[in-house]
Amino acid sequence: MSQLSPIVEDWFAAKGWAARAHQLDVLAADRAGNSVLLIAPTGAGKTLAGFLPSIEDLIVNPHDGLHTLYISPLKALAVDVARNLDAPIAGMGLKIKVETRTGDTPASRRQRQRFDPPDILMTTPEQLALLLSHPDSARLFGNLKRVVLDELHALVTSKRGDLLALGVARLAKLSPDVRVTALSATVAEPDILRDWIAAPVFPRPAVLINAPGGAAPELSILESEDRVPWAGHSAAYAVPQLLETIKAHGTTLLFVNTRSQAEVLFQSLWAINDDALPIALHHGSLSVEQRRKVESAMVAGNIRAVVCTSTLDMGIDWGDVDLVVQVGAPKGASRMLQRVGRANHRMDEPSKAMFVPANRFEVLECEAALEAVAAGAQDSERPLSGGLDVLAQHVLGMACAAPLDANAAFAEITRAWPYRDLPREKFDRVLDFVATGGYALKAYERFAKLRKTPEGLWRIANGKVAQQYRLNVGTIVEEPMLKVRLVRARGVRKGATTGPIGRGGRVLGEIEEYFIDQLVRGDTFMFGGEIVAFEGVVETEAYVSRSYSESPRIPAYMGGKFPLSTFLADGVRRILADRDNWRVLPDQVREWLELQEAASVLPGRESLLVETFPRADKHYLVCYPFEGRLAHQTLGMLLTRRLERARAQPLGFVATDYALAIWCATDLSAQIRTGRLSLDQLFDEDMLGDDLEAWLDESALMKRTFRNCAIISGLIERRHPGKEKSGRQLTMSSDIIFDVLYRHEPGHILIEATRRDAARGLLDIERLGVALKRIRRHIQHKPLDRISPLAVPVMLDIGKEPIFGEAREAVLREAAEDLIAEAVGR
Amino acid sequence: MSSAHPLTDNEITTINFRGHAFAPLVSGALYWPAHETLLVADLHLEKMSSFARSGQLLPPYDTAMTLERLERDIALTGARKVIALGDSFHRDEGADTLPDAERVRICRLTGTIDWVWLAGNHDPSVHRLGGLCTSEISVSGCVLRHEPVLGAQGVIAGHLHPAARIAMNGKSTRRPCFVWDENLLILPAYGASTGSLNILSEAFGGLFNRARLQVMVMGRDRLYRVGLNRLVRG
Repeated sequence: MSQLSPIVEDWFAAKGWAARAHQLDVLAADRAGNSVLLIAPTGAGKTLAGFLPSIEDLIVNPHDGLHTLYISPLKALAVDVARNLDAPIAGMGLKIKVETRTGDTPASRRQRQRFDPPDILMTTPEQLALLLSHPDSARLFGNLKRVVLDELHALVTSKRGDLLALGVARLAKLSPDVRVTALSATVAEPDILRDWIAAPVFPRPAVLINAPGGAAPELSILESEDRVPWAGHSAAYAVPQLLETIKAHGTTLLFVNTRSQAEVLFQSLWAINDDALPIALHHGSLSVEQRRKVESAMVAGNIRAVVCTSTLDMGIDWGDVDLVVQVGAPKGASRMLQRVGRANHRMDEPSKAMFVPANRFEVLECEAALEAVAAGAQDSERPLSGGLDVLAQHVLGMACAAPLDANAAFAEITRAWPYRDLPREKFDRVLDFVATGGYALKAYERFAKLRKTPEGLWRIANGKVAQQYRLNVGTIVEEPMLKVRLVRARGVRKGATTGPIGRGGRVLGEIEEYFIDQLVRGDTFMFGGEIVAFEGVVETEAYVSRSYSESPRIPAYMGGKFPLSTFLADGVRRILADRDNWRVLPDQVREWLELQEAASVLPGRESLLVETFPRADKHYLVCYPFEGRLAHQTLGMLLTRRLERARAQPLGFVATDYALAIWCATDLSAQIRTGRLSLDQLFDEDMLGDDLEAWLDESALMKRTFRNCAIISGLIERRHPGKEKSGRQLTMSSDIIFDVLYRHEPGHILIEATRRDAARGLLDIERLGVALKRIRRHIQHKPLDRISPLAVPVMLDIGKEPIFGEAREAVLREAAEDLIAEAVGR
Repeated sequence: MSSAHPLTDNEITTINFRGHAFAPLVSGALYWPAHETLLVADLHLEKMSSFARSGQLLPPYDTAMTLERLERDIALTGARKVIALGDSFHRDEGADTLPDAERVRICRLTGTIDWVWLAGNHDPSVHRLGGLCTSEISVSGCVLRHEPVLGAQGVIAGHLHPAARIAMNGKSTRRPCFVWDENLLILPAYGASTGSLNILSEAFGGLFNRARLQVMVMGRDRLYRVGLNRLVRG
């Protein structure tokens, strides 16, 4: 224990505590001048481990200026950690100044912090970028000793992580003494994370320290007397049992995967909540005040259950949670471990968690997740190579701070882990983009944002450029949202435009514009825990009225944000493929699989089962790749194109996390039998070549992705309160920009960035590629005379999908035919 | 129209306005065969470059795209005259600050066929790109001008960038459109960089006689006539 100063030692002693081994290990590593990756479960004293080296250093070595910079993904977490740090610092009687800096910090204090910084500053990646863009950043960070990165695992898989990596590389340049301490939950590949923090401070090594895990969690799957449904995502069958479970526990967190699922579950719990147990709702669409109210009620212990989405996945303790329930598909093992960890933040007691499958496939998925969580298996995402749009933003930020030398900047940037393999040629194109738009047609020299000085440095053209940069900093681009306002219903009259809409009701929250876009007046949907009817859009608000209908007309499930992880998918395939594994399954699920075995076959672990069968007047092809909804959707798009070319007349498709169903006007079984259609050719990997290109050309997904890249890279400006364009205009104009750019310069750096993002995000092409490779020449075709038991769930999803692409054109055709029919009196 | 025969494609895609037959094109232009004249509204040339002035360096290709489209439509219809219904330039100075390549291209067009530039709210000034600059023009009893006017008889205009959102079986899609009644015909915006406005929005209030309103929307490869009962806001 001699490592600690007497002051710190005394403080621990007075508390009756002792420093934990991993806290001392972090201290020792930091003193040796190393960076540290500390992997620790919640409740392991991570905060103190992260700051103990700073406290020790500040006790022993008097310091001038900012000593430690702490960066958290959440504003609230930064504030909370600052508060938690105050107690030991005050308890030790130290004069260490700790401050936070977030978007909520008053401008005067933010200004002062730049000239008179505290010893320890708590902030976010965006605020760091802002600080770095000021000419005085060299002075502010020149004497920085330590950077503490919290919840790093959550940051590194996103563009925020790219921005942070570039920021840390900048800090390492400004202060060569700096070392990094990163705090992370358990991840699949800790060495990648370690490299991530070591890269910018090279050759200083980073050491990996693992805090001991807590007690093993107690896990279960809800066993139901009722029938687990074939399809659907609401878990309605389990609601009475869930209410009983809530009654039997102090505080329960019920996690679901989407906001609409949260709405549905909340509504159905309240429908039978005769004891009026305080059950609350928490998701990203609710207004901030509403969410804060729920959070403080939890802290005060006034709430028995909260139905929530990923908004409560991480961050500060909201009180004593006795049980975590996952309703619906778990999607990934690491995600589940994190959610399970939300129960019981005391290390020595086991967390208690329960899985509630919403349909039969999810029973298999829950079973696979249970095994994975029990074994502590991880399937967290791997950080990816850095986004070029983020790089463009950062380059402009660097130029705002000081005229930029291209060679030096490139050397610095490639020290950031996500950009370690960045080719010089790409960097030069990004620089050109920032300066004049990067177009082959050099039309904008006179409007350049960066100009070259006689010394060959890149300097911002004027002060307005820096101003614009600061307004647009950050990588979080919100979906265009509309406020949802509750108004009185209009009288029921013919025609959509008659009758005034009542005004001035209360705001229920915000909703994605794309959802509202597909609604027609009178459509009912669930929002803020009630069923509402859509009345119309007035400027940037969606007006809704209270509806008394029993069930909403617009299907609530809009697809989960997270696709099924490869790891869990493999678990599901493993359970399916081996009858020995079925013993753990509920009887009804086992019977379902036995029925499938009798009627068709079960999907193998490495092969792909393809079933074809007629139904009504159409012919169906159902396959079971288990690669997640996004990859299946892409596969569906590409297969329909190929079937079209093969004259099989495809009419549509639907994708779930497990399966893909395509329907055609021609007899697929017969075509495969006679050799007119080859499944091996149909599923050949080469579809990811030309077919993919051709499809991307028409894809609305490219436009949605482009909008994000255009905003992050600074091509178009972000919305700002007060002088904002409405999201409606912004979306439209970015679509137009995309059309023009894609037509004339498809090789432009932003199109390249968009293509990359679309391939990884919305299309999941990498995963599809791996799957297609795996199943090559392992396709098992099963022609059937009717639908198989395994095909039922995906077939039940038909008709619930929102439309895009070709289907939009079909709407026009139908509308026109409808008019013709009317005109000819049919 | 008798209910005995189904509408032919031609009948569906012809606009009859004040006794004249017009052929709308899927690009958003309107061809008037009797006068061998092509009408286009709201080209908004140089729109992207005007953003560049304020620091948003948008792709400088929209002007070329619009001109390309226009050249194609002229070739396709064999028009001998073009009437641009105003807002041909996004900024009034646009005609002066055109890059050389585009200036040459426009002058070649205006040097080859008859050309009328009607003044718009974005480009009220007279310029020297060839052809005639004026505020409005009468052709066979129709008044061609930039902005529609309330209560006028036989006006063909642009300005509003009309679009329709069509709902069908709980789904909907939004497209630029031609919209007209017995007194007023409004063309969709033709420029590659133009947005659009729903014809059910307030900007169109009172302009049309709803009972006689007709709408033709632009599909990917053809135009579609749609019934009013299918139109929704948004």
